[in-house]
Amino acid sequence: MSDEATDFLYPMVDGTTETDVDVLLDDLAASARGKAGHSAQLTDTTLDALDGQLDVLAEAMAERFLRGGRLLTCGNGGSATDAEGVAELFAVPPGQARRLAARSLVADVSVLTALANDIGFEAVFSRQVIAHARGQDMIMGFSTSGNSANVIAAFERGAEAGLLTVGLAGYDGGAMADCDALEHCLVVSADSVHRIQEAQSATAHELWRRIQQRLDATDAA
Amino acid sequence: MSTQTASEATSPADLAPDLATASLAMARRFQAGATMWCVSPSWPHHARHVAVEFVHPVIVGKRALPALIAPGREPVAHLRASVEPGDLVVAIAPAADPEVGDLMRRAHAWGVETAWIGAGPRPPAGAANHVLWLGEDDRAPHDGRFILLYHLLWELTHVCFEHRGNLQEPPPVCEGEVCITCSDQGELAEIVSHLDGEARVRTATGMRTVDVTLVDDVAPDDLVLVHAGTAIARVDGEERR
Repeated sequence: MSDEATDFLYPMVDGTTETDVDVLLDDLAASARGKAGHSAQLTDTTLDALDGQLDVLAEAMAERFLRGGRLLTCGNGGSATDAEGVAELFAVPPGQARRLAARSLVADVSVLTALANDIGFEAVFSRQVIAHARGQDMIMGFSTSGNSANVIAAFERGAEAGLLTVGLAGYDGGAMADCDALEHCLVVSADSVHRIQEAQSATAHELWRRIQQRLDATDAA
Repeated sequence: MSTQTASEATSPADLAPDLATASLAMARRFQAGATMWCVSPSWPHHARHVAVEFVHPVIVGKRALPALIAPGREPVAHLRASVEPGDLVVAIAPAADPEVGDLMRRAHAWGVETAWIGAGPRPPAGAANHVLWLGEDDRAPHDGRFILLYHLLWELTHVCFEHRGNLQEPPPVCEGEVCITCSDQGELAEIVSHLDGEARVRTATGMRTVDVTLVDDVAPDDLVLVHAGTAIARVDGEERR
Protein backbone atom coordinates (compact mmCIF):
# COMPACT_ATOMS: atom_id res chain seq x y z
CA MET A 1 0.00 0.00 0.00
CA SER A 2 1.47 3.35 -0.99
CA ASP A 3 1.42 6.39 1.26
CA GLU A 4 -0.63 8.34 -1.28
CA ALA A 5 -3.44 5.81 -1.20
CA THR A 6 -3.92 5.92 2.55
CA ASP A 7 -3.06 9.50 3.50
CA PHE A 8 -6.57 10.75 3.04
CA LEU A 9 -7.90 8.11 5.43
CA TYR A 10 -5.57 9.10 8.24
CA PRO A 11 -5.21 12.87 8.14
CA MET A 12 -4.11 12.90 11.81
CA VAL A 13 -0.85 11.04 11.15
CA ASP A 14 0.23 13.50 8.47
CA GLY A 15 2.85 15.80 9.96
CA THR A 16 1.24 18.89 8.44
CA THR A 17 -2.21 18.27 9.91
CA GLU A 18 -1.79 18.48 13.67
CA THR A 19 -5.03 19.18 15.47
CA ASP A 20 -3.88 20.75 18.74
CA VAL A 21 -5.74 24.00 18.28
CA ASP A 22 -4.40 25.65 21.44
CA VAL A 23 -0.82 25.32 20.23
CA LEU A 24 -1.78 26.92 16.92
CA LEU A 25 -3.68 29.78 18.60
CA ASP A 26 -0.69 30.47 20.89
CA ASP A 27 1.64 30.54 17.88
CA LEU A 28 -0.70 32.87 15.98
CA ALA A 29 -0.99 35.25 18.94
CA ALA A 30 2.79 35.30 19.42
CA SER A 31 3.22 36.05 15.71
CA ALA A 32 0.65 38.87 15.86
CA ARG A 33 2.37 40.37 18.92
CA GLY A 34 5.76 40.28 17.17
CA LYS A 35 4.45 41.85 13.95
CA ALA A 36 2.55 44.58 15.85
CA GLY A 37 5.76 45.38 17.74
CA HIS A 38 7.72 45.51 14.50
CA SER A 39 5.12 47.83 12.95
CA ALA A 40 5.21 50.27 15.88
CA GLN A 41 9.01 50.22 15.92
CA LEU A 42 9.24 50.83 12.16
CA THR A 43 6.84 53.77 12.46
CA ASP A 44 8.99 55.30 15.22
CA THR A 45 12.29 54.90 13.34
CA THR A 46 10.70 56.15 10.09
CA LEU A 47 9.30 59.31 11.70
CA ASP A 48 12.69 59.93 13.35
CA ALA A 49 14.55 59.47 10.07
CA LEU A 50 12.13 61.67 8.08
CA ASP A 51 11.75 64.37 10.74
CA GLY A 52 13.70 67.09 8.89
CA GLN A 53 12.19 66.21 5.48
CA LEU A 54 8.66 66.30 6.94
CA ASP A 55 9.26 69.80 8.37
CA VAL A 56 10.41 71.18 5.02
CA LEU A 57 7.54 69.46 3.20
CA ALA A 58 4.86 70.57 5.69
CA GLU A 59 6.04 74.17 5.31
CA ALA A 60 5.90 73.99 1.51
CA MET A 61 2.47 72.30 1.46
CA ALA A 62 0.96 74.69 4.02
CA GLU A 63 2.13 77.57 1.85
CA ARG A 64 0.46 76.03 -1.22
CA PHE A 65 -2.80 75.34 0.64
CA LEU A 66 -2.82 79.03 1.66
CA ARG A 67 -2.56 79.95 -2.03
CA GLY A 68 -5.59 77.75 -2.84
CA GLY A 69 -3.61 74.66 -3.80
CA ARG A 70 -5.30 71.25 -3.80
CA LEU A 71 -3.81 67.86 -2.95
CA LEU A 72 -4.19 65.05 -5.51
CA THR A 73 -3.32 61.50 -4.36
CA CYS A 74 -2.70 58.24 -6.23
CA GLY A 75 -1.41 54.68 -5.89
CA ASN A 76 -2.25 51.09 -6.91
CA GLY A 77 -4.00 48.28 -5.00
CA GLY A 78 -3.60 48.65 -1.23
CA SER A 79 -1.66 51.85 -1.92
CA ALA A 80 -4.68 53.17 -3.86
CA THR A 81 -6.79 52.73 -0.74
CA ASP A 82 -4.11 54.41 1.39
CA ALA A 83 -4.08 57.32 -1.11
CA GLU A 84 -7.86 57.58 -0.73
CA GLY A 85 -7.48 57.54 3.04
CA VAL A 86 -5.04 60.47 2.94
CA ALA A 87 -7.33 62.53 0.67
CA GLU A 88 -10.14 61.78 3.15
CA LEU A 89 -7.99 62.80 6.13
CA PHE A 90 -7.10 66.17 4.54
CA ALA A 91 -10.61 66.96 3.25
CA VAL A 92 -12.80 65.57 6.05
CA PRO A 93 -10.58 65.34 9.13
CA PRO A 94 -11.73 64.15 12.55
CA GLY A 95 -12.53 66.74 15.24
CA GLN A 96 -12.01 70.45 14.72
CA ALA A 97 -9.11 70.30 12.25
CA ARG A 98 -9.40 72.54 9.20
CA ARG A 99 -10.69 71.07 5.94
CA LEU A 100 -8.24 71.18 3.06
CA ALA A 101 -9.03 70.58 -0.59
CA ALA A 102 -7.89 67.05 -1.45
CA ARG A 103 -9.05 64.39 -3.89
CA SER A 104 -7.85 60.94 -4.84
CA LEU A 105 -7.29 60.04 -8.47
CA VAL A 106 -8.36 56.44 -7.82
CA ALA A 107 -11.95 57.21 -6.79
CA ASP A 108 -13.67 57.09 -10.17
CA VAL A 109 -13.75 53.65 -11.76
CA SER A 110 -15.19 55.04 -15.00
CA VAL A 111 -12.26 57.41 -15.47
CA LEU A 112 -9.70 54.73 -14.53
CA THR A 113 -11.12 52.10 -16.86
CA ALA A 114 -11.59 54.60 -19.69
CA LEU A 115 -7.96 55.67 -19.52
CA ALA A 116 -6.63 52.13 -19.01
CA ASN A 117 -8.68 50.80 -21.90
CA ASP A 118 -8.05 53.62 -24.37
CA ILE A 119 -4.44 54.56 -23.58
CA GLY A 120 -2.89 52.13 -21.11
CA PHE A 121 -2.53 51.66 -17.39
CA GLU A 122 0.52 53.87 -17.23
CA ALA A 123 -1.66 56.88 -18.11
CA VAL A 124 -4.45 56.43 -15.55
CA PHE A 125 -3.09 59.09 -13.18
CA SER A 126 -1.03 61.31 -15.48
CA ARG A 127 -3.99 62.07 -17.77
CA GLN A 128 -6.02 63.10 -14.72
CA VAL A 129 -3.13 65.32 -13.57
CA ILE A 130 -3.19 67.02 -16.98
CA ALA A 131 -6.96 67.51 -16.68
CA HIS A 132 -7.01 68.82 -13.09
CA ALA A 133 -3.70 70.47 -12.36
CA ARG A 134 -3.32 74.11 -11.45
CA GLY A 135 0.15 75.44 -10.74
CA GLN A 136 -0.31 75.69 -6.96
CA ASP A 137 -1.58 72.07 -6.59
CA MET A 138 0.27 69.09 -5.09
CA ILE A 139 0.47 65.45 -6.20
CA MET A 140 1.18 62.69 -3.64
CA GLY A 141 1.86 59.15 -4.86
CA PHE A 142 2.13 55.89 -2.89
CA SER A 143 4.12 52.86 -4.03
CA THR A 144 5.70 50.32 -1.68
CA SER A 145 8.27 49.30 -4.31
CA GLY A 146 8.77 52.89 -5.48
CA ASN A 147 8.52 51.54 -9.02
CA SER A 148 4.85 52.04 -10.04
CA ALA A 149 5.08 53.42 -13.59
CA ASN A 150 1.72 55.19 -13.48
CA VAL A 151 2.64 56.99 -10.24
CA ILE A 152 6.02 58.06 -11.67
CA ALA A 153 4.21 59.30 -14.81
CA ALA A 154 1.91 61.38 -12.59
CA PHE A 155 4.98 63.00 -10.97
CA GLU A 156 6.44 63.79 -14.40
CA ARG A 157 3.25 65.44 -15.69
CA GLY A 158 2.80 67.15 -12.32
CA ALA A 159 6.31 68.59 -12.29
CA GLU A 160 5.79 69.93 -15.83
CA ALA A 161 2.67 71.74 -14.63
CA GLY A 162 4.48 73.25 -11.64
CA LEU A 163 2.95 70.96 -8.99
CA LEU A 164 4.70 70.09 -5.77
CA THR A 165 5.46 66.34 -5.97
CA VAL A 166 5.54 63.97 -2.96
CA GLY A 167 6.28 60.26 -3.16
CA LEU A 168 5.98 57.63 -0.43
CA ALA A 169 8.08 54.57 -1.19
CA GLY A 170 9.45 51.50 0.62
CA TYR A 171 12.54 49.29 0.34
CA ASP A 172 15.34 51.61 -0.91
CA GLY A 173 12.97 53.98 -2.73
CA GLY A 174 13.12 52.11 -6.06
CA ALA A 175 12.66 54.22 -9.19
CA MET A 176 11.18 57.04 -7.09
CA ALA A 177 14.60 57.59 -5.48
CA ASP A 178 16.05 58.34 -8.94
CA CYS A 179 13.07 60.26 -10.34
CA ASP A 180 14.09 63.82 -11.27
CA ALA A 181 10.45 64.92 -11.35
CA LEU A 182 9.96 63.91 -7.69
CA GLU A 183 10.83 66.73 -5.33
CA HIS A 184 10.04 65.07 -1.97
CA CYS A 185 10.73 61.33 -1.70
CA LEU A 186 9.77 59.84 1.69
CA VAL A 187 11.24 56.34 2.02
CA VAL A 188 10.17 53.78 4.62
CA SER A 189 13.27 51.61 4.79
CA ALA A 190 11.79 48.12 5.20
CA ASP A 191 11.17 45.09 3.02
CA SER A 192 7.68 43.93 4.06
CA VAL A 193 4.89 45.43 1.95
CA HIS A 194 2.49 45.33 4.90
CA ARG A 195 4.82 47.00 7.39
CA ILE A 196 5.75 49.62 4.73
CA GLN A 197 2.08 50.50 4.14
CA GLU A 198 1.43 50.85 7.88
CA ALA A 199 4.43 53.17 8.34
CA GLN A 200 3.50 55.14 5.19
CA SER A 201 0.06 55.88 6.62
CA ALA A 202 1.63 56.96 9.91
CA THR A 203 4.04 59.19 7.97
CA ALA A 204 1.24 60.79 5.94
CA HIS A 205 -0.72 61.33 9.16
CA GLU A 206 2.27 63.05 10.77
CA LEU A 207 2.69 65.24 7.68
CA TRP A 208 -1.00 66.20 7.89
CA ARG A 209 -0.61 67.04 11.61
CA ARG A 210 2.36 69.33 10.92
CA ILE A 211 0.54 71.10 8.06
CA GLN A 212 -2.43 71.73 10.39
CA GLN A 213 -0.02 73.13 13.02
CA ARG A 214 1.56 75.51 10.50
CA LEU A 215 -1.79 76.74 9.23
CA ASP A 216 -2.93 77.32 12.83
CA ALA A 217 0.26 79.29 13.49
CA THR A 218 -0.35 81.38 10.35
CA ASP A 219 -3.89 82.14 11.55
CA ALA A 220 -2.60 83.24 14.94
CA ALA A 221 0.06 85.52 13.44
CA MET B 1 5.98 58.76 18.72
CA SER B 2 5.69 61.21 21.53
CA THR B 3 1.93 61.66 21.36
CA GLN B 4 0.77 58.11 22.23
CA THR B 5 -1.14 58.44 25.48
CA ALA B 6 -4.76 57.37 25.56
CA SER B 7 -4.17 54.81 22.80
CA GLU B 8 -1.90 52.81 25.11
CA ALA B 9 -5.05 51.50 26.80
CA THR B 10 -5.53 48.95 24.00
CA SER B 11 -2.84 48.63 21.36
CA PRO B 12 -2.81 46.26 18.37
CA ALA B 13 -0.41 43.96 20.29
CA ASP B 14 -2.99 43.65 23.10
CA LEU B 15 -5.45 42.21 20.57
CA ALA B 16 -3.10 39.35 19.59
CA PRO B 17 -5.22 36.54 21.14
CA ASP B 18 -8.41 37.93 19.55
CA LEU B 19 -6.69 38.27 16.17
CA ALA B 20 -5.57 34.64 16.47
CA THR B 21 -9.09 33.38 17.21
CA ALA B 22 -10.64 35.50 14.45
CA SER B 23 -8.07 34.38 11.89
CA LEU B 24 -8.58 30.69 12.61
CA ALA B 25 -12.35 31.15 12.29
CA MET B 26 -11.89 32.96 8.97
CA ALA B 27 -9.52 30.32 7.60
CA ARG B 28 -12.05 27.61 8.51
CA ARG B 29 -14.87 29.51 6.80
CA PHE B 30 -12.79 30.15 3.67
CA GLN B 31 -11.83 26.48 3.60
CA ALA B 32 -15.54 25.62 3.64
CA GLY B 33 -16.24 27.98 0.70
CA ALA B 34 -17.03 31.32 2.34
CA THR B 35 -17.04 34.69 0.64
CA MET B 36 -15.79 37.61 2.76
CA TRP B 37 -17.85 40.84 2.61
CA CYS B 38 -16.04 44.03 3.64
CA VAL B 39 -18.09 46.96 4.94
CA SER B 40 -17.02 50.44 5.98
CA PRO B 41 -19.59 53.22 5.51
CA SER B 42 -17.36 55.75 7.32
CA TRP B 43 -14.04 54.77 5.72
CA PRO B 44 -14.80 52.99 2.41
CA HIS B 45 -11.10 52.85 1.55
CA HIS B 46 -10.51 50.51 4.51
CA ALA B 47 -13.13 48.07 3.17
CA ARG B 48 -11.45 48.19 -0.24
CA HIS B 49 -8.02 47.59 1.33
CA VAL B 50 -9.25 44.46 3.15
CA ALA B 51 -10.83 43.10 -0.04
CA VAL B 52 -7.77 43.69 -2.24
CA GLU B 53 -5.54 42.15 0.42
CA PHE B 54 -7.42 38.84 0.35
CA VAL B 55 -8.13 38.72 -3.40
CA HIS B 56 -4.65 39.72 -4.57
CA PRO B 57 -2.08 38.84 -1.89
CA VAL B 58 1.13 40.86 -1.77
CA ILE B 59 3.09 37.66 -1.19
CA VAL B 60 3.44 35.73 -4.44
CA GLY B 61 2.14 32.18 -4.18
CA LYS B 62 -0.47 32.77 -1.47
CA ARG B 63 -3.93 31.72 -2.60
CA ALA B 64 -6.44 34.30 -3.82
CA LEU B 65 -9.51 34.30 -1.59
CA PRO B 66 -13.01 35.55 -2.45
CA ALA B 67 -13.45 38.95 -0.78
CA LEU B 68 -15.71 41.80 -1.89
CA ILE B 69 -16.71 45.25 -0.75
CA ALA B 70 -20.34 45.84 0.14
CA PRO B 71 -21.83 48.75 -1.83
CA GLY B 72 -21.80 52.04 0.07
CA ARG B 73 -25.52 52.62 -0.41
CA GLU B 74 -27.86 50.32 1.54
CA PRO B 75 -25.24 47.72 2.48
CA VAL B 76 -27.77 45.75 4.56
CA ALA B 77 -30.16 45.34 1.62
CA HIS B 78 -27.33 44.32 -0.70
CA LEU B 79 -25.89 41.79 1.72
CA ARG B 80 -29.33 40.36 2.53
CA ALA B 81 -29.65 39.53 -1.16
CA SER B 82 -26.14 38.20 -1.65
CA VAL B 83 -24.69 36.54 1.46
CA GLU B 84 -24.86 32.78 1.84
CA PRO B 85 -24.79 30.80 5.09
CA GLY B 86 -21.18 30.32 6.15
CA ASP B 87 -19.98 33.64 4.68
CA LEU B 88 -17.90 36.22 6.54
CA VAL B 89 -18.58 39.92 7.16
CA VAL B 90 -15.73 42.22 8.22
CA ALA B 91 -16.78 45.73 9.22
CA ILE B 92 -14.49 48.66 9.95
CA ALA B 93 -16.74 51.18 11.63
CA PRO B 94 -17.44 53.20 14.77
CA ALA B 95 -19.62 51.46 17.38
CA ALA B 96 -22.35 54.06 16.76
CA ASP B 97 -22.66 53.27 13.02
CA PRO B 98 -26.39 52.40 12.74
CA GLU B 99 -26.09 50.49 9.44
CA VAL B 100 -23.23 48.34 10.69
CA GLY B 101 -25.02 47.69 13.99
CA ASP B 102 -28.10 46.54 12.05
CA LEU B 103 -25.98 44.43 9.71
CA MET B 104 -24.16 42.72 12.57
CA ARG B 105 -27.47 41.83 14.31
CA ARG B 106 -28.97 40.34 11.16
CA ALA B 107 -25.82 38.46 10.22
CA HIS B 108 -26.64 35.90 12.96
CA ALA B 109 -29.95 35.11 11.25
CA TRP B 110 -28.16 34.76 7.90
CA GLY B 111 -25.65 32.22 9.29
CA VAL B 112 -22.77 34.63 8.74
CA GLU B 113 -19.70 35.01 10.99
CA THR B 114 -18.78 38.62 11.79
CA ALA B 115 -15.71 40.63 12.76
CA TRP B 116 -15.88 44.31 13.73
CA ILE B 117 -12.77 46.52 13.77
CA GLY B 118 -12.86 49.94 15.42
CA ALA B 119 -11.53 52.30 18.08
CA GLY B 120 -12.96 54.39 20.90
CA PRO B 121 -16.36 53.63 22.48
CA ARG B 122 -17.02 49.89 22.09
CA PRO B 123 -20.06 48.20 20.57
CA PRO B 124 -22.23 46.26 23.06
CA ALA B 125 -20.99 42.85 24.22
CA GLY B 126 -21.71 40.16 21.65
CA ALA B 127 -22.32 42.68 18.84
CA ALA B 128 -20.09 40.62 16.55
CA ASN B 129 -18.41 37.22 16.75
CA HIS B 130 -15.02 38.93 16.81
CA VAL B 131 -14.71 42.47 18.16
CA LEU B 132 -11.22 43.88 17.50
CA TRP B 133 -11.23 47.21 19.30
CA LEU B 134 -8.48 49.74 19.97
CA GLY B 135 -8.51 52.30 22.79
CA GLU B 136 -10.12 55.74 22.68
CA ASP B 137 -8.35 57.48 19.83
CA ASP B 138 -9.43 59.35 16.69
CA ARG B 139 -6.09 58.74 14.97
CA ALA B 140 -6.29 54.93 14.69
CA PRO B 141 -8.31 55.00 11.42
CA HIS B 142 -5.68 57.26 9.81
CA ASP B 143 -2.24 56.44 11.23
CA GLY B 144 -1.81 52.85 10.03
CA ARG B 145 -3.13 50.96 13.07
CA PHE B 146 -6.43 49.86 11.46
CA ILE B 147 -4.36 48.77 8.45
CA LEU B 148 -2.10 46.78 10.78
CA LEU B 149 -5.11 44.97 12.30
CA TYR B 150 -6.45 43.76 8.96
CA HIS B 151 -2.98 42.99 7.64
CA LEU B 152 -2.55 40.72 10.68
CA LEU B 153 -5.92 39.04 9.98
CA TRP B 154 -4.70 38.27 6.47
CA GLU B 155 -1.25 37.10 7.57
CA LEU B 156 -2.59 34.82 10.33
CA THR B 157 -5.37 33.42 8.12
CA HIS B 158 -2.72 32.24 5.68
CA VAL B 159 -0.66 30.71 8.51
CA CYS B 160 -3.77 28.69 9.39
CA PHE B 161 -3.91 27.28 5.84
CA GLU B 162 -0.55 25.63 6.56
CA HIS B 163 -2.15 23.73 9.46
CA ARG B 164 -4.70 21.67 7.60
CA GLY B 165 -5.62 19.52 10.59
CA ASN B 166 -7.07 22.56 12.31
CA LEU B 167 -9.14 23.79 9.37
CA GLN B 168 -12.06 21.49 10.11
CA GLU B 169 -14.63 23.03 12.44
CA PRO B 170 -14.66 20.74 15.52
CA PRO B 171 -18.06 19.06 16.16
CA PRO B 172 -20.11 20.80 18.87
CA VAL B 173 -19.65 19.35 22.35
CA CYS B 174 -22.61 18.92 24.72
CA GLU B 175 -21.67 20.07 28.20
CA GLY B 176 -23.79 20.57 31.33
CA GLU B 177 -27.53 20.14 31.54
CA VAL B 178 -28.61 22.05 28.45
CA CYS B 179 -27.13 21.33 25.09
CA ILE B 180 -27.19 24.46 22.94
CA THR B 181 -26.98 22.44 19.76
CA CYS B 182 -29.72 19.94 20.43
CA SER B 183 -32.14 21.78 22.67
CA ASP B 184 -34.89 23.85 21.20
CA GLN B 185 -33.74 27.19 22.51
CA GLY B 186 -34.59 30.55 20.97
CA GLU B 187 -33.12 31.24 17.57
CA LEU B 188 -32.84 34.60 15.78
CA ALA B 189 -34.87 34.75 12.57
CA GLU B 190 -35.51 37.33 9.86
CA ILE B 191 -38.99 37.47 8.34
CA VAL B 192 -38.94 36.85 4.59
CA SER B 193 -42.70 36.77 3.94
CA HIS B 194 -45.84 36.13 5.96
CA LEU B 195 -49.50 35.19 5.44
CA ASP B 196 -52.31 34.44 7.90
CA GLY B 197 -50.27 33.97 11.06
CA GLU B 198 -47.50 32.01 9.40
CA ALA B 199 -44.17 33.31 8.15
CA ARG B 200 -41.23 32.08 6.14
CA VAL B 201 -38.11 33.05 8.09
CA ARG B 202 -34.40 32.95 7.51
CA THR B 203 -32.27 31.49 10.33
CA ALA B 204 -28.65 30.45 10.79
CA THR B 205 -29.76 26.85 10.24
CA GLY B 206 -31.83 27.50 7.14
CA MET B 207 -35.25 28.66 5.94
CA ARG B 208 -38.32 27.53 7.87
CA THR B 209 -42.00 28.26 8.37
CA VAL B 210 -43.00 29.49 11.83
CA ASP B 211 -46.15 30.58 13.65
CA VAL B 212 -46.23 34.37 14.15
CA THR B 213 -49.60 34.76 15.89
CA LEU B 214 -47.89 35.67 19.21
CA VAL B 215 -46.13 38.71 17.75
CA ASP B 216 -48.00 41.73 16.37
CA ASP B 217 -47.79 43.02 12.86
CA VAL B 218 -44.67 41.38 11.53
CA ALA B 219 -43.30 42.67 8.24
CA PRO B 220 -40.58 41.42 5.91
CA ASP B 221 -37.04 42.05 7.29
CA ASP B 222 -38.26 42.16 10.93
CA LEU B 223 -36.17 40.16 13.38
CA VAL B 224 -37.95 37.74 15.71
CA LEU B 225 -36.92 35.13 18.25
CA VAL B 226 -38.18 31.66 17.32
CA HIS B 227 -38.74 28.89 19.88
CA ALA B 228 -40.34 25.52 19.11
CA GLY B 229 -41.59 26.65 15.72
CA THR B 230 -43.16 29.82 17.08
CA ALA B 231 -42.01 33.42 16.94
CA ILE B 232 -42.14 34.37 20.64
CA ALA B 233 -40.79 37.94 20.56
CA ARG B 234 -39.82 40.73 18.25
CA VAL B 235 -36.18 41.71 18.37
CA ASP B 236 -35.22 45.27 17.69
CA GLY B 237 -31.85 46.87 18.13
CA GLU B 238 -32.41 48.29 21.58
CA GLU B 239 -33.94 45.12 23.04
CA ARG B 240 -31.02 43.05 21.86
CA ARG B 241 -28.69 45.34 23.71
